[in-house]
Amino acid sequence: MNAKYLILIAGLVLAAALVAGCTTQTAQPAALKLGVVSSMTGPASTTGRDMWQSAQLAADEINAKGGVFVKSLGNNVTIALVQGDDESTREGGQKVVTKMIADDKVDALIGGFSSAVVTAHQSAVAENGVPYIITGASSPTITRRTDINTSTMFHHCPTTDDYGAKTIQFVDEIMRPAINAKFGRPADQPLRMAVIYQDSPYGKGVLSAVNDTIAKNGLPIDIVASESYKMGETDFRAILTSVKAKNPDVVYPAAFLNEQVPMMTQARRDVGLNTIFLAVECNDDADYYKGLGQYGDYSIIESRFSPYTVPKGPISANVEKYQKDYAAKFNTSPGMMGAATYEGVYVAAAAAQQAGSTGRAALVTALGSVQVPEMIESMENGTISFENTFRESKSNLYMEQLHWDPATQTLRPKIVWPAALKETEFQIPDWYRPGSV
Amino acid sequence: MAIDVGTLLQILFWGLYAGCIYILLATGVNLIFGVMKTVNFAHGELLMIGAYVTWTLFSLTGLNPYLLLVATVPVLLLFGIAVQRLAFRPVLGSHKLNEIFLSIGLIYLFQNGAAMIWGSDYQSIQSPFASMAVTIGSFRLPLDYVIIIAVTIGILVGLQLLLRRTRLGLALRATSQNRKAAMLSGINVERMDMIAFGLGAALAGAAGTLWVVSGQVFDPYMGSVPAVKAFAIVILGGLGSIPGAIIGGLFYGVAESAATYTLGGAWKDAISFIVLIVVLVIRPTGLFGERGE
Repeated sequence: MNAKYLILIAGLVLAAALVAGCTTQTAQPAALKLGVVSSMTGPASTTGRDMWQSAQLAADEINAKGGVFVKSLGNNVTIALVQGDDESTREGGQKVVTKMIADDKVDALIGGFSSAVVTAHQSAVAENGVPYIITGASSPTITRRTDINTSTMFHHCPTTDDYGAKTIQFVDEIMRPAINAKFGRPADQPLRMAVIYQDSPYGKGVLSAVNDTIAKNGLPIDIVASESYKMGETDFRAILTSVKAKNPDVVYPAAFLNEQVPMMTQARRDVGLNTIFLAVECNDDADYYKGLGQYGDYSIIESRFSPYTVPKGPISANVEKYQKDYAAKFNTSPGMMGAATYEGVYVAAAAAQQAGSTGRAALVTALGSVQVPEMIESMENGTISFENTFRESKSNLYMEQLHWDPATQTLRPKIVWPAALKETEFQIPDWYRPGSV
Repeated sequence: MAIDVGTLLQILFWGLYAGCIYILLATGVNLIFGVMKTVNFAHGELLMIGAYVTWTLFSLTGLNPYLLLVATVPVLLLFGIAVQRLAFRPVLGSHKLNEIFLSIGLIYLFQNGAAMIWGSDYQSIQSPFASMAVTIGSFRLPLDYVIIIAVTIGILVGLQLLLRRTRLGLALRATSQNRKAAMLSGINVERMDMIAFGLGAALAGAAGTLWVVSGQVFDPYMGSVPAVKAFAIVILGGLGSIPGAIIGGLFYGVAESAATYTLGGAWKDAISFIVLIVVLVIRPTGLFGERGE
């Protein structure tokens, strides 16, 4: 008797499963399927989550407006996101990107943080001709490498060459004259800069950009120390002691958020390196401000999107709306890598509409000529588009100086450069000690 | 390269601090290995859990994080006992591969569990002594690191007293030296396994607290690198040798610091393993290891 019941129940469960499976298949609507490569776990998960959430926000906005019109289908399709956790590792990236291409059959990929991680999974993308809008890896080699075919990859993220050059330009135009003037040094006295860089394509890219910019323009900036460290390092005391012994006027780390926070904290707190630190844009995240606290006072960060300031200009309203919507949806402030990923979803949607298809080859062709009005990051010529040679978009970058407010116990940025966006003047704190007087 | 004495002392001091964390971890690994003859590859994750327990208690109470050692250490002790009882005991005595893969599995379990409970964002705590320093001539010692070194010495002295001056210590040492003989003389060796694992976890928990108060950031994935170094220290000092773990830990900390200063940060990990290889070639049992261990 019991056996009969068991067989009956098993049969019912099997039938229900088959019916459910059939129903799911027939009810599946047409969609533009986008794989979002983001580090949901591992050391880069703070940035990864920001990228994923911003992609969700963009997809929800597009879908709420009815989706994207695709001519070949004769109607609108929704955006369907597939989460691809690269686990903050090269191997994790290779695994999940292959899965999204082969199993999930995504139409395009968006995201990718850390040049080392992206470099490792680019082969799978190239072999399958998948359009890939890379929004978080800044090594210029990403779309310039010649060992694989990168023609389907589009770089919507300033390269280390771009922001390395801009940062050095700011240092030479603003910081060097200010430091020389404050300490009575000759106006042409070279500035002593130390570079502490992650031993990765990203870190080496920044160091190379710094050296190239100085050499190319004959700038009076001496690199007095260039110290490397392994990715994920959190103990910088010995490196900082070495750097301090070289008497720098300014320190430029090419580090990720989870590295730069302990580095600056240990510099000020433990080593007594009372100098001004610069930071690369990928750190412009709410967690950076929270993690640094008072140790970030007067430091500088190069940026194109900040959770705590809105640059003047045509995109101000968009930025404010994005910050507000993101905070309302996720109960936290948005970060920079998420901003580019948010735009990346819109760019993919625009490419699908322009191509009139969700096919991979058609999307690649459309991405090559797509023109999307700038959204929440200021772009050169006011549009997001990819130049023909290396398929890179070009952003307008700015520099912020961070200030600690003891009353509210918060660290917040103010734009100090360029002049068109400037909110306040660059300041040198009383505790600052120059490398040489 | 000319190095002034102040800088040299500073580098040595950072090495001593790093060495303290390594010593606590490596001593725990050795204690567990000595009694159970099992290598717990998830030992770094116990440091991570210790860091999170301290952070949680600090967030809830706002107490001085050093005082929270009094709570974190017992929590990790109990946690270690539970892990040994539920995970390691069932496979103890079976094939060594079972123990190895069990502990590797625990790494992922602990990492994902921590990410689920506390989130995967990095965290940090600010010590109440962050701005204080002890100045000796031109040499400036941040107070936190002085306390960390003192606390580590205190813990090691306490452990030594426990192992040398108590019946429990005698039983642990007897189990470590000859498990069958210990069993025949009436020692409950399974209980000793649990206590040894608990003590090892407690030492890792203490290392986690000290990691946190020193201004280091931590996240669920931070345990792997310190654990690898702890294993290297154990091999360098000699498997099962607590003095070896102490000397090895200090040596590693100072070697890393000196290599970072002279050769650059990229050499930090490499130099330690180069030293390890050299020592193993000259003395395969490690500095203080016994033949056959």
